[in-house]
Amino acid sequence: MVTAVTTQQRRVADVTVIARKQRSLWRDALYRLVRNRAAVVGLAVIAFAALIAIFAPLIAPYDPLAQNGPKQQLEPIWARFFGSEYTDPAYVFGTDWLGRDILSRLMYSSRVSLVIGLVPVTIVLAIGLSVGMLAGYVGGVVDDLLMRATDVVYAFPDLLFVILIVATLRGTVLGDAYDGLLVIFVGIAVVNWVGVARLVRGQVLSVKNRDFVEAARAIGAGPGRIMRRHIFPNILAPIIVTVAFAIPGAMLTESVLSFLGIGIRPPTPTWGVMINEGFVVFSTTPWAVLLPSICISIVLLAFTFVGDGLRDALDPRSKV
Amino acid sequence: MFFVALITFTLAHAAPGSPFDRNPNRPLSQETLDRINRYYGVDKPIPEQFVIYMGNLLRGDLGLSFTRQRPVVEVIGQGIGTTFQLGLAALAFALAFSIPLGIVSALKQNTIVDYLSMLVATIGTTIPAFVMAIFLISIFGVSLHLLPIVGWGTWQNMVMPTFVLGLGAGAFLTRITRASMLEAIGQDYIRTARSKGLHERAVIVRHALKNALIPVATIIGPATAALITGSFIIESLFNVPGMGRLYVISILQRDYPTIMGTTLLYALLIVIANLTVDILYGALDPRIKVR
Repeated sequence: MVTAVTTQQRRVADVTVIARKQRSLWRDALYRLVRNRAAVVGLAVIAFAALIAIFAPLIAPYDPLAQNGPKQQLEPIWARFFGSEYTDPAYVFGTDWLGRDILSRLMYSSRVSLVIGLVPVTIVLAIGLSVGMLAGYVGGVVDDLLMRATDVVYAFPDLLFVILIVATLRGTVLGDAYDGLLVIFVGIAVVNWVGVARLVRGQVLSVKNRDFVEAARAIGAGPGRIMRRHIFPNILAPIIVTVAFAIPGAMLTESVLSFLGIGIRPPTPTWGVMINEGFVVFSTTPWAVLLPSICISIVLLAFTFVGDGLRDALDPRSKV
Repeated sequence: MFFVALITFTLAHAAPGSPFDRNPNRPLSQETLDRINRYYGVDKPIPEQFVIYMGNLLRGDLGLSFTRQRPVVEVIGQGIGTTFQLGLAALAFALAFSIPLGIVSALKQNTIVDYLSMLVATIGTTIPAFVMAIFLISIFGVSLHLLPIVGWGTWQNMVMPTFVLGLGAGAFLTRITRASMLEAIGQDYIRTARSKGLHERAVIVRHALKNALIPVATIIGPATAALITGSFIIESLFNVPGMGRLYVISILQRDYPTIMGTTLLYALLIVIANLTVDILYGALDPRIKVR
């Protein structure tokens, strides 16, 4: 009897030890992230928005560019509860001043935001990571050049720099490609890669003299292998957090540019374009401006929650 | 600064099209075009233009605005006062709510007060200024008719732009204040102060707060620069005749001298702000030595 209990206890103890061993640093972080309610909600919102973006052509009720003459400036369906006669169940979110369905336009807008969130950030990451790694690990000329580039870019107010680049390239072939999408990629990439490169460089510098790098070098690993297999995994956490904040940053840049009238070209719908177009007739069709504003706010908030959650999960010591 | 000037100059001049081919319905004769180009000095090769520009810049001359037929210094001078006025009002507003909010939420950590103020801070930092402005306009301008939507000059005009501009900065400052206050409270000297029997208020105000506000004070410099350079969206939206709106308009009109002038001024502000931080740090916190 006594022995049975002890065996069972030992077995339980064994199981816990194994379970502990299996929980790596990343699993720990994942656990903390999932426990963070705001981050989970944020992730769900992002997933939902991404699904809408991907399947927009299938689920959007109308062509976002189609103008329905007699059905202009319809109010959203819920205006009916406030006694509005001017609604149509076929246009749930109403129509804008050209009679275009706002719901469809909102859905198509999320596609642009998705692309803007992914492509420039990937470019920024690719350049920033490779330059930063080289500058940090090898040093020398690359390092000097990077530091000079950073000084210059940091002296500009970053959004104004993007505006300057985008405005400059607007009339060119590059500026006209894909309704102005390409030039926004370029603008965001040029301004943001230095930040990532600086971050990576700093991280590499703080890691490269640690014992495990020394050990890897001692057993004959080349610089490429050390950078990829030993340094990279150890500096990944801050990079992930940076990316989590860079994505909404890029989306925000696009919407600001489009709102100012130098971003994506109308009639292609993006939330910024919709606000820009609707703002002129704000007092007659406020919902055409408010609905995209709400969409931007929700998506950006979702990303902030996820970003905060990721930072707390990956670096429990940080406080801000 | 030199590089900023060089890059801006190159970018501005690389833009296709001249500022004078705007109106296709009234084409200018070649002769007139030549005369205009000569008048503004844009007939010379671009490197030469740059040298001339830099020479004039050192004498405080930013050239003539293409579209306004007046010196750029004068054009900017008209807007800069408004922009500073707006920026400083926003800064005052931001400080007024962020520091108390940050302190209170640090003292009441993990209570409902803390969560609420952090939620406000998160919303304030996340929602873009122009979206926030739209919400405010629709509530106070369109629905309630309490405040004028566009224009400048009366105090009612200032309320919404100041609020929107200050909110983002203030939300950021709230987070900083809270974090550094939390750190200060956890320090040994606070425990010492408590254990020698000081009043709780004396502990907080004299010991914790004094140290907690150092990071906050040093961030005010860049925050001010950010408020002044970041006001261009708000200025365009509310039609405030400041430097930011001037910048956006001159970019749309390809008014190179004005673009150059405003960009240089913005860059100068940022450089000054960063320098101030370095100096302030040394002065406020003797533990840090400026190298």
